[in-house]
Amino acid sequence: MSQLRRGARWLAPVLFSIYCACYAAFVLSAAFCTFEAGQPVGGLAAQSIGGLNVAVVAGFGLILGAFVLALVYARFGAHRDAAEKAQ
Amino acid sequence: MIYESSALAVAVFAAFVASVLVLSFKLAARAKSVGGYFAAHGTVGWFTNGIAFAGDYLSAASFLGICGMIAFHGYDGFLYSIGYLAGWIVALLVIAEPVKRLGKYTLADALNAKFNSRGVKMVGAISTLVISLFYLVPQMVGAGALVKPLLGLPHWAGVSIVGVVVTVIVATAGMVSTTWVQFIKGTLLVIICAFVVVLLLERGFILPSTPITQDEVQTLTKVGEQTWVNGAPMTPANQLDSRLRERHGVGFGSVSALSNGGVATGPLGPVEYIEQFSGATITTWRKGTDASGATTFTPVERTGADLLLPGSSPTFKGVRSDNLGSKLDFLSLMLALFLGTASLPHILIRYYTVKDARAARKSTVVGIGAIGVFYVLTLFLGIGAMTSGALDPTDSNMAAPLLARTFGNGLFAVISAVAFTTVLGTVSGLIMAGAGAVAHDLLKDVCRFKLSDAAQVRAAKWTAVGLGAAAIACGIVFEKMNVTFLVGWAFNIAASANLPALVMLLFWKRTTKQGVIAAMIVGLVSSLGWVLLSADTFEKVYGYSAAAATDAALMPFSQPAIVTVPLGFLVLVLVSLATASRPASSPPASSAAAA
Repeated sequence: MSQLRRGARWLAPVLFSIYCACYAAFVLSAAFCTFEAGQPVGGLAAQSIGGLNVAVVAGFGLILGAFVLALVYARFGAHRDAAEKAQ
Repeated sequence: MIYESSALAVAVFAAFVASVLVLSFKLAARAKSVGGYFAAHGTVGWFTNGIAFAGDYLSAASFLGICGMIAFHGYDGFLYSIGYLAGWIVALLVIAEPVKRLGKYTLADALNAKFNSRGVKMVGAISTLVISLFYLVPQMVGAGALVKPLLGLPHWAGVSIVGVVVTVIVATAGMVSTTWVQFIKGTLLVIICAFVVVLLLERGFILPSTPITQDEVQTLTKVGEQTWVNGAPMTPANQLDSRLRERHGVGFGSVSALSNGGVATGPLGPVEYIEQFSGATITTWRKGTDASGATTFTPVERTGADLLLPGSSPTFKGVRSDNLGSKLDFLSLMLALFLGTASLPHILIRYYTVKDARAARKSTVVGIGAIGVFYVLTLFLGIGAMTSGALDPTDSNMAAPLLARTFGNGLFAVISAVAFTTVLGTVSGLIMAGAGAVAHDLLKDVCRFKLSDAAQVRAAKWTAVGLGAAAIACGIVFEKMNVTFLVGWAFNIAASANLPALVMLLFWKRTTKQGVIAAMIVGLVSSLGWVLLSADTFEKVYGYSAAAATDAALMPFSQPAIVTVPLGFLVLVLVSLATASRPASSPPASSAAAA
């Protein structure tokens, strides 16, 4: 139970750091890696899965990723709540 | 020019308004106490609250603005979707549960939980009012702009209808009725948009049946309210969209060529839809200025692949520039979107309507789900509007309703009504936040008027009436002004003024009330001062040309958050350290409240 509490304490910062890193990578890549002299050179302009570019895949990824992280946090939070209630 | 008012749209909107008003009067009995009026007694279910979050957050800027921006500039509009949604992670993982534990009715309650300070309360209330005002004005102007083409009523009528209806909703049952209006709006918005996207995927992409000839490629010039076609006043005979519709089956904005050389794709899956768009050539419309200074709209062929990259619009052009200042402007806006959401007062007060921190967390997850689905749909809606021959090149905000019209007048009527409900839901949340700031924070806690429960509720209701009247006046006065950028200001100010104070209060035990007050004042003044002295404001508000605005601006770029958010944190730390009389013995507010 104490492990669960320790985990709960760190879960939000860890998930937040993961998402911040992904968002920062996306934004910095758009600003500094995608264009040179106005022409696409890579970064978000590179081809990704299914014939889509990285910009589209990363954009959907950030939106869907937020929901997945939220579900993980909610699931863990539910366990924590149950443990606290049982205690 | 390409609108006809629809009796069906009026009927759908009237039915919605009638039902929310009936609901408000029925629920009024539940909002007689302070707790009932400001927080619905904390009895709103987590799922209802989650969808109400979507109804509160998805403003006209989200629905009409993002769809329009994607329809005109491609991926750039989707950057807003990404930034707006990402902000909810800050709300969920940093703000939601502690704010629920700390606060009671308003943002200032949460900020003041540890201090019992009139100064913190006053600054919190002022910040709430400023942010709500900047958010409110574009919603009201948007309501007027919508009503003209969709319902055939004048601008003032649209503003007045929305203002009066919202005032009645908030003044009768406060947060109880506001919650249900936002719940219904959130549900309708997501379901209707999903339905349009399904129809869009089923249709796929279709080329005009015969190529558009050179003489039909025209330039629109807008001088005041008058639109000219190739130098002649627009008449029913020469308006391009109806001619093209007759001859080719398309109007403004269409696919010029598909990657496989075909004329139609047939039904497509979501991934195939984006893939086909990426390989196609699209005729889009570019806004410019002619020698006389009049605004022109000219057709331009672009590849889908280019439209699926950032940097096409004036807002995000810095992404494609080699200029560091332009890139910082982009980074700063994305930072404001990320950090601003969790600091918006009308969003934060939703956390007080559920019973505990657990429900606050669960409702945020539901909100992220509903809002995320909507933002995914925006890319399809925008691309659909861009390629369905339904655009009005002179008004990007009409892209989504005009796209719906390509599927029939019934859907157009429903989407038009949903667009109005979008304004109602958001404005009611903003007025609710403002009413709480005035009645609960300023009158009761700052001015220390002895107000009973009933008197406080009465004061809040009269404040709502006053704010509603002010909102109507602003909506009418600012009719001619481009005010959509005020939403961006609201995010920048919220991120700069509120977030440092909220975060440090929750996670740094040496935070003092002087530190909170100083950080909020500095964040508010610096972010507002920055935007008022920036090139964007010189151009859009003061009426300078783009080149003159760049010369006159005193700030190196227009979006302040990248400077003013760290400044807020820095000021809070320095002032807190300077004003701490002795090492703090109390734990951080969040743990204290949780204990």
